[in-house]
Amino acid sequence: MSHPATTGPKLRLDAVRKTFTVPRSGAEVVAVETADLAIEAGEFLTIVGPSGCGKSTILNMLAGLELPTGGTVAMDGRKITGPAAERGMVFQDYALFPWKTVFENIEFGLRYGPHGKGLSTAERRSRVARCVELVGLGGSEQKYPHELSGGMRQRCGIARLVANEPDVLLMDEPFAALDAQTRIILQEELLRIWGETGDRAERRTVVFITHAIDEAVFLSDRVVVMSAHPGRIIEILDVDLPRPRTDATRTRPEFQALSQTIWNLIRDEVYRAATAAGSAGGAGD
Amino acid sequence: MAQAAEIGAPPARQWRQSTVFLYLRSLFALAIIWSLIALWVGNHVILPQPTSVAYELFRLVISGEMLVHAAVSLWRLVLSYALAALIGIPLGLLMGLWPWASDLLDPVVEILRPISGIAWIPLALFIFGVGNELPIFIITYVALFPFLLNTMAGVRTTDRTLIRAARTMGVDQRTIIRHVMIPSALPQILTGARIAGGAAWMSLVAAELIGAPSGLGFAIEWYRQLLMTPKVIAVIVVISLLGYLTDRLLRWLQRRLTPWSTGIGAGR
Ligand SMILES: Nc1ncnc2c1ncn2[C@@H]1O[C@H](COP(=O)(O)OP(=O)(O)O)[C@@H](O)[C@H]1O
Ligand SMILES: [Mg+2]
Repeated sequence: MSHPATTGPKLRLDAVRKTFTVPRSGAEVVAVETADLAIEAGEFLTIVGPSGCGKSTILNMLAGLELPTGGTVAMDGRKITGPAAERGMVFQDYALFPWKTVFENIEFGLRYGPHGKGLSTAERRSRVARCVELVGLGGSEQKYPHELSGGMRQRCGIARLVANEPDVLLMDEPFAALDAQTRIILQEELLRIWGETGDRAERRTVVFITHAIDEAVFLSDRVVVMSAHPGRIIEILDVDLPRPRTDATRTRPEFQALSQTIWNLIRDEVYRAATAAGSAGGAGD
Repeated sequence: MAQAAEIGAPPARQWRQSTVFLYLRSLFALAIIWSLIALWVGNHVILPQPTSVAYELFRLVISGEMLVHAAVSLWRLVLSYALAALIGIPLGLLMGLWPWASDLLDPVVEILRPISGIAWIPLALFIFGVGNELPIFIITYVALFPFLLNTMAGVRTTDRTLIRAARTMGVDQRTIIRHVMIPSALPQILTGARIAGGAAWMSLVAAELIGAPSGLGFAIEWYRQLLMTPKVIAVIVVISLLGYLTDRLLRWLQRRLTPWSTGIGAGR
């Protein structure tokens, strides 16, 4: 658990702008407009906003899967130029390898990537086994993803992320496709895995995307609120709710008040998007 | 059918039994219709009774003649099929993975592909003469395209999110090709293998009819010239049976190699 002794933020977006060129028409789409954001080490930060506001684009730039058109994205003060094992990701549609079993999926990064280089096969296997237990997938190791429920698939996705021991955990609407009950369970488990009850210094940095306001408030230390057309950050809010968060957290007045504040920030836009359906091409993820 | 197979593992036997039953029932009905038409035609050189075909089939098998023809044909088929796979799959991977390769080869493939293998037979007769080379060339040519095109398409349609997931785990491009793109293309490669198998059988017979001194296709032509129609049909029955068994074998291979693939191809 060696964290670099830097004084600056873990992740930093500096006047980041991202435009896409639409293939056929050649038109420019501004996905993100001048975003500035500093994310501290060990922080749980959530980005909320209506669909198409550029949440995924920001996360992809943090992962190094996309490069900004303007400005810089940096980790530990070094510019991010491509994907790396230090920044792992969980996807909304799980992105598990269908031809690999649960165990092999979780093992993937350690087996073929740089983070497993010094490990013996036995060490690697035992680390994978620990991650299987951590997410409660014991007994399903030899199953294929198509044999699992949505909730179990995402548990597998989280285990695959955690097994590779990245410094930064990037999560793109990981619970959006799950039913409400499974979601609540997985939110609490995610916080436990993150180390909510443990030492603050042991926690990894998490950037979590959602369009569910309650989910954002429940999980985070800070919530970044974005708006669309063009996608930009309109507000950054601190969440001063005690940890560990439990069911009781959701009924606290601060929880309700903060949720309401966020809703007020994006409400107009959500209504506009809902009534003007079809006018903007922001449906795809 | 895929659905029936999926519903439960225990009733698998029951399912197989009923399939055999359905096959036998249909074939029996076919034989009766055939028999009636043969009666109506009344000329056993044009259309013999199924019973006399069965009798000739039995004799050809007992004498060992059928085995010799079938063995020669199968040997040619397996050799050409393996050749087609050995050329088609790597070429398909190359074209699927690297745009420069498909820019270079795509025009050639697209121009050759619509030409039926049979169209090459006269030219192949000039080049190879009558022998093993001609059918081997024709079958390889015909089986090549299903392998190549399906491999290429399979690689190209790899889910981009899976590639991104691998990249965020820090693995290199070689690993992504080996452990993401190729497995993801495997169901479609195996579909190509089945199409290639069917095409190979069809072209085998056509090539042997004209350009080989032995084999099942040759036997058909031989007994046709002798006006021994029951034997002609007996050989056709064997071709059909072997073609069917080839497909069953390839389907079994498909299930063995892609146990994770639920329906036909789709993995998620
Ligand atoms: N590869 C791309 N090509 C063109 N436009 C894109 C691409 N990716 C995202 N966009 C556009 O950028 C905007 C932001 O997208 P995205 O980051 O996916 O939003 P969110 O995740 O908040 O729903 C949308 O308008 C979307 O259509
Ligand atoms: Mg998104």
